[in-house]
Amino acid sequence: MNKIMAMVRKELIDAARDKRSVMAGLYYAIGTPLIMCGLFMVLIGQLTSPDDLKITITNPDKAPDLVRFLSNKGINSGEAKDSELKAIELIISTDYAAQMNQGKGAEITIVADNSNEKLQNSIRRLEKQLQSYSTEMGSLRLIARGIDPRVMQPLKVNVHDQATSDSKGGMILGIAIFTMIYSVFISGMNLAIDTSAGERERNSLALLLSHPLTTRQLVLSKIIAVSLFALLGLVLILLVSKIAYTFVPWQELGFSVNITTEFMALMLVVGIPVALMAACLQLFVSFMAKTFKEAQSYLTMVLFVPLALSMAASYNIAPDMLQWLPVSGQQQALMDFIKGKDLPMLQLLVSTLGTLAIAVLLAFGMERSLKSEKVIFGL
Amino acid sequence: MIKVSNLSKRIGDVQALNDLSFVAQNGQITGLLGPNGAGKTTCLRTIFGLLKPDNGKAEIEGIDVAIDPIGAKQQLGLFPDPFGLYERLTPREYIRYFAELSGLSPKEAKEATSQVIAKLRLEDISDRRCKGFSQGQRMKTALAQAIVHSPSNIILDEPTRGLDVMSTRLLRDILIDLKNQGHCVLFSSHVMQEVAALCDQVIVMAQGRVVAIGSPTELCIQTGKDSLEEAFIQLIGTDEGIAA
Amino acid sequence: MIDSMTHRKLSKTAQRPSPTRPRHGATNATWCTRILSTRMLSISALMLAMASTTTWASDVKSQQTQAADIARNMANNTDTCYVEGVSDRLNCGFVTVPENPNKPDGKQIQVHYVVLPAVKNVNHEEALLAIAGGPGQSAIDNATGFDAMLSKVRQQRDILLIDQRGTGRSNLLTCDEGAQSPLSFDDDNADTLAETQKCLAKIDADVTQYGSLNAIKDFEAVRQHLGYKKLHVYGISYGTRMAQLYMRLYPAHLATVTLDGIVPMQQSVLEIGASIDRGFDLLFKDCQETTACHAQFPELKAEFDQVAASLAKAPVMENVYDPVTGEKTMLTMTRGKFYGSIRMALYQANVRALVPHAIHQAAKHNFQPILGLYSLTIDNAGMAMGMHASVVCGEDMHRITPAMREQAQHSFMGKTMLEGLEATCEVWKVPAVDDSFSEPISSDIPTLLLSGEIDPATPPSWGELAMEKLTNAKHFVAPYATHGVAYQSCANNLIADLVRSGSVKDLDGECLKKDVRRSFYLNASSVEPLDATGTKTITTDDNASTGAKE
Repeated sequence: MNKIMAMVRKELIDAARDKRSVMAGLYYAIGTPLIMCGLFMVLIGQLTSPDDLKITITNPDKAPDLVRFLSNKGINSGEAKDSELKAIELIISTDYAAQMNQGKGAEITIVADNSNEKLQNSIRRLEKQLQSYSTEMGSLRLIARGIDPRVMQPLKVNVHDQATSDSKGGMILGIAIFTMIYSVFISGMNLAIDTSAGERERNSLALLLSHPLTTRQLVLSKIIAVSLFALLGLVLILLVSKIAYTFVPWQELGFSVNITTEFMALMLVVGIPVALMAACLQLFVSFMAKTFKEAQSYLTMVLFVPLALSMAASYNIAPDMLQWLPVSGQQQALMDFIKGKDLPMLQLLVSTLGTLAIAVLLAFGMERSLKSEKVIFGL
Repeated sequence: MIKVSNLSKRIGDVQALNDLSFVAQNGQITGLLGPNGAGKTTCLRTIFGLLKPDNGKAEIEGIDVAIDPIGAKQQLGLFPDPFGLYERLTPREYIRYFAELSGLSPKEAKEATSQVIAKLRLEDISDRRCKGFSQGQRMKTALAQAIVHSPSNIILDEPTRGLDVMSTRLLRDILIDLKNQGHCVLFSSHVMQEVAALCDQVIVMAQGRVVAIGSPTELCIQTGKDSLEEAFIQLIGTDEGIAA
Repeated sequence: MIDSMTHRKLSKTAQRPSPTRPRHGATNATWCTRILSTRMLSISALMLAMASTTTWASDVKSQQTQAADIARNMANNTDTCYVEGVSDRLNCGFVTVPENPNKPDGKQIQVHYVVLPAVKNVNHEEALLAIAGGPGQSAIDNATGFDAMLSKVRQQRDILLIDQRGTGRSNLLTCDEGAQSPLSFDDDNADTLAETQKCLAKIDADVTQYGSLNAIKDFEAVRQHLGYKKLHVYGISYGTRMAQLYMRLYPAHLATVTLDGIVPMQQSVLEIGASIDRGFDLLFKDCQETTACHAQFPELKAEFDQVAASLAKAPVMENVYDPVTGEKTMLTMTRGKFYGSIRMALYQANVRALVPHAIHQAAKHNFQPILGLYSLTIDNAGMAMGMHASVVCGEDMHRITPAMREQAQHSFMGKTMLEGLEATCEVWKVPAVDDSFSEPISSDIPTLLLSGEIDPATPPSWGELAMEKLTNAKHFVAPYATHGVAYQSCANNLIADLVRSGSVKDLDGECLKKDVRRSFYLNASSVEPLDATGTKTITTDDNASTGAKE
């Protein structure tokens, strides 16, 4: 046990002094939430319709009441040179007043590119207000004819939305959780390569194995060191996320994204087996590789699998089976938790056990392989 | 005492060790002399249990490496080639780390590290990171690592390679010192003078076999040559791979 | 310091006749002075409530049904629930309080509340309490309107709605409709006394316990129950009286206050008669000053007087189609209904736009448009008339001076309401509150006061009265707003600013001046004058057809 402690301590000191390991792990953990928040802030700014929506209105003098109505809803006619002017044109027919007076539908044309995501909200808003104006006039026309306008509403649809303001942010949170799980894989990766392929490249592996310690001790200490590093990355990204996400005006999209202390605790607990598996996987692959560079390229390929699982789960495009698999199972459980649903304990248990089983298998594999001359000397 | 009996090992198509047997006694410096590719390093690695012999066994203080590798290795100190330093650790951390791996408690390891640093006069560099060390500084660090836990047997793989005169001399003094303390010192080399100057016993290897064993003088007598170098060439039957 | 601003924005909730909108009644808290039977209401209710306006577009679900909706979730005091018109999951609950605070062991009643949870709660210790008008409107039934109007506030804070005792789900005090159809009923000759007695007999409650002072204790109990340290209060119409009482009695728990359509403590709501007359005059003036309206209805005021005078002599009886069922039925158009329909139409800018046309048609003996307007008033803005009477009889009736009585004789509305209420209060027998009740509120709580220039219930002068002893307040007058300024202007943004900053210092009422007037209807179909466009072409080919018909 002393030897394991000594080795873990040495690995951590060594890694802490290795700029490459530290940067790879920690820059990711700190940078990702910040970048995501920045992107979301920009995105929210683009997706939400501005308080004061400026569009082009053609023939406004044909329907002054409508124009005032829209203006009261924050939809105004803008100057052509105005930078905030949206590429939406509202054309009021020259026959508007005549058609209106005859009790006919007065013509209004909206000219806009509906595939432009930045405009969609604004277009919908304009349509909604036009509809609202139209409905209002319709109601008043009925009143003018002695009819109660409520007869125009044969159906009354009640919507009982089961979402909470947290669950409405589910997709965003899915991505956020994905970045956190990803950080577990990323943060320890450089250390894993350095401590295995790198150790051999520097010829210290043989020296290490010449000392009176078992390969099991060696493997365990390296797994522990890499896992600790991975978890450190996780803790960091959780802390940074908790702070950074509060600065994004999610409420403008009608939901909140809240990294609660409970979630952070759960994420950490769930993250431990994932970190162990990530460490085992990375060490195993790196020991198989002959050089540092080779290990890097192998790992990039191998890590795609767990990350694809996680990503699939975060976008909810996955078949149900994914909730039983390692990584994706934990990811889905975390998403359920954050949406305020009950934790799927069985699935979480199964996927966690699966994760641990993979870790143990890989650890055994490593222990065996380190007894092989080929692995030790990179033959 | 290190005893090797009938070691055979095939690596790929090459018979690296071929029924190799010798004994390195305590209180003696034993040199493993051979041309490049003679199997010296393979032999040493087998003694450390890093390689499994196809046949035969290696014993350290009577402990079979294959049966109790931990017990056997506890009796060993290794000065490897190359050194295998951790560039981001200081010599003090490095030495202490291996002291602990060799079975010393953290406290003992700390004390032993301080002692060996004093002994090898490493104080001026002991708290600098190893990156950028000269070859001599590296050698001293590696040597300190090999002897920090006062193993009864010390194995050195090509210890003088790349060393300047001063470092070589220092190394030599330390080895003699160790011998005088009763340690068994085994080192591999292909440098004649060094072997001639230091060794009580020389084991000449070629193509995985022992071709001769004896003191430098005995070898000269045995071959009827004046110098060890001549004797060596005579013994291995070629001058290939000899450094004068 | 009245910043007089003009601007009227149709409140999303209150003003839009859209059939899809549930009623926002809360916003248009109008004091309905006339109490009791539903049929009379349209004429004499104080209507210090949000206009019944929204009701037209939305269906009025019986309150019992709604209560049942929520009730199933209320077993455990606070639970998840839904209310009509709001799709989000809400938190509902109630506190149990003694009906009579002096008899803590006596009859207990439940005071129900709903919390519209903040989207992103930045301050769990604060909420905004929105108080409905009436008196008698249910805040919870008006959740849709509050939710829309306060959406910016709700992004960061909970919105708390409480059904004041006697309204909605909190021991509702209401009166059944009479057997007679509201259309044929002759309200000018109704026996208010008898109707009221019938109503009281059916109410199982001590009606003397449903005044504002008991109710404010309930509000405070709800605040404590929910654990909010501070409340921001928004009161509309009669709700401003509740808000002012809160300021007087529990100032430590208030962060900010918004009074919208203000009933100052010094004012008896029965003076609303003069406000209504003022609302009518402003309408005539508006039409006269608008080119298109004046051109179309040059004799509007004269036409109105002529119809009123004629109806005063005898109501018009004619066969019409029922506005809802479409069946033939008898309409008795009385002076009271005529006045009442127009009065209620003035609460909402968009309905108000139809009034000149309706008067003009009535003068031509076509009562269809008036019938349409009348149909909007029939449900009485969902007011609990029993509770309404408890409040008015206890807090306002005793303040009537001989001078006011004298003045009321000159105003049809004033006189009608006074008579109706006197009859009601004779039956209701609610003891009068202390004189101290009528003292102005003295407070330094940041307070925003909002008045609409064309408000037919609570004119800007009432807001000025409320300002008397407020040392940290701003009073904005929106020049184009009717009753419920926050629903028809940018004032809801001002409220959001106030709640966020906790200070009135930086509030700027400039945006209220925006011209958001609605054009008057010139006929039953259009607000746009034909001449103004300059084009008289009514061709259906050419330009017109190209655009619209694919």
